[in-house]
Amino acid sequence: MANGTPPAPGLTFPPETFAKLTPRPFLQAHLQHKDSIRPNGRRPEEVRKPTVNTGSLSYSNGSAVVRVGDTAVVCGVRAEILLASDIPHPPNGDADAEHLLEDLGLLVPNVELSTGCSPTHLPGNPPGILAQALSYRILSLLHVSDLVNLQDLQIEYTVPQTDDDLPDAGPKTVVKAYWTLYIDILCIAMDGNPFDAAWTAVIAALRDTSLPRAWWDPDREIILCSPLEAEASRLRLRNLPMASTFAVYSTSSPLKQRAHAESWVLADPDGFEEDVCHESVTVVLSHHMDGKKSGILRVEKHGGGIVDNVALLRCVQATRNRAGEWCAVLGIT
Amino acid sequence: QADRRRLNAPPGGTAPPAFATPKTVKLERPKRTRKPDEHRKIYLRTGIVPSASGSAYYEIPPQSDQKQSGLSLPQTSSLKITCTVHGPRPLPRNAAFSPNLLLTTHVKFAPFATRHRRGYVRDASERDLAVHLETALRGVIIGERWPKSGVEVVITVLEGEEDGWWGDAGGGGGGGGWGLMGVLAGCITVASAALVDAGIDCVDLVSGGVAVVVGDGGGSGGKPKGGEGALVLDPSPAEHAEMRAACVVAYLHSRDEITELWMRGDAGAESERLIDEAVKAASLARTVLVEAVKEAVE
Repeated sequence: MANGTPPAPGLTFPPETFAKLTPRPFLQAHLQHKDSIRPNGRRPEEVRKPTVNTGSLSYSNGSAVVRVGDTAVVCGVRAEILLASDIPHPPNGDADAEHLLEDLGLLVPNVELSTGCSPTHLPGNPPGILAQALSYRILSLLHVSDLVNLQDLQIEYTVPQTDDDLPDAGPKTVVKAYWTLYIDILCIAMDGNPFDAAWTAVIAALRDTSLPRAWWDPDREIILCSPLEAEASRLRLRNLPMASTFAVYSTSSPLKQRAHAESWVLADPDGFEEDVCHESVTVVLSHHMDGKKSGILRVEKHGGGIVDNVALLRCVQATRNRAGEWCAVLGIT
Repeated sequence: QADRRRLNAPPGGTAPPAFATPKTVKLERPKRTRKPDEHRKIYLRTGIVPSASGSAYYEIPPQSDQKQSGLSLPQTSSLKITCTVHGPRPLPRNAAFSPNLLLTTHVKFAPFATRHRRGYVRDASERDLAVHLETALRGVIIGERWPKSGVEVVITVLEGEEDGWWGDAGGGGGGGGWGLMGVLAGCITVASAALVDAGIDCVDLVSGGVAVVVGDGGGSGGKPKGGEGALVLDPSPAEHAEMRAACVVAYLHSRDEITELWMRGDAGAESERLIDEAVKAASLARTVLVEAVKEAVE
């Protein structure tokens, strides 16, 4: 276009069209600007503040709705009873309590993305790679963080003393059944970073969960529960880990020299950035409720080799800095 | 197939808890406090899913305060439905030529939507609802403007209405599926709002309404005369001990047309009055729909 003449009609497009036609140069132009800013207006280290709403579902033992920007996730926790006599391979009495929760499979999280949350996730298909990976990551994080106390999930029965027992022997308690928690996470709207939103929803829903008082009825040989709210008890969560995901955008390519490449670490990527970035890092920090020292629980990194130790430590530090805000959002003192 | 790709229940299987109410606590069936022709308050909002072409959220909040009863089980039902519309999108290349817009509907209940936990795989009742919804919407969409295109209407029911009162024998679950009719009425209204949000051409705003013939007098003010049952619109199934027939209509107000009619049970001589009641319910729902759509435009 020559200088001095007004641009011919139809040759300039609004920013959204550029974003659709050439996403990578669009993002790169924003980041290479002198005050690096992302297309959604945030700085590279800025995250979206989540809003959490608990207790809105009536048929669940615990529920939470989390909105992080345009990503919205609903999590419902349902408790059902697994009788000890139904377990096909019962654990021996001295089994490791730590692994018992995992072996019995009492926590069943599932992430469902095929709800029409975005044009790429339409219903009618079985869960794809992303949904299965999210479900498994949440399951392994629940077990590794030692979040749920197995004692909360056990339904015990004190066997009444008969004449055969020794008079000195104390009452014997046996576990008759376990509570199984079905943690169902539905993504209502998807705009990037489903893992953080899903994890925050799981924590909020588990904190909101209340289990009814249950006892073993020896005459009818079933477990009965009390419907009274006053007799229900909450879960005692030992650890409330905080997860934070970062995406890495880099201009490196096999055709260029490694030293010439520029890269940026973007905290809390949205849908547009996730499509364009290949590498991502997730940092999970533990937050113990029983006085133990909190530290790094898990660091996951995949998709490339741009992030080195220095950048990883920066990500961990950025996550630490946000811990106070995250606790405030969830209502943790 | 779904079992391999999802995390499953622990081996051994689980069962929902069985409740035993102590004798000191008296269980009372919730009573209908509104008039027989009064609709519950509806909350409707569009534009909740920005990445979809159109979306809407419909909610009927629970009528009574949960804390009052002291029970941890919900006493009255509520309804929470989300709808997203994707389209008009081009059909895949190998699809046959279609001169009209191809409408596909999906209805899915969330696992935590009802008293008994539902699975992730769609069952027959959900497919049935999807077919009824498609009939309702097909009559209102102007299809000729979008050849070789398809539109997907996806409904997720986050909380569904019950079939009956949980304190009844049989737990209210074996009531014949009356709760589904209320859910369908909600689905029609929310899908209509989402279609408007997506900018798909329609001849009119379609709204859904449900009415029942009850056998117990229908709450305050309704008295059964002789053998006739009372007619009640927008029922909460837990409030009625016996429901004889129910009807759901999808109604176009400005054209005075019905695009979908689903009747269940034996209404006998009351059938025409039942349909009229359901149409009245649909008109009441339409006022909320119009307000929500106008608000979105501003």
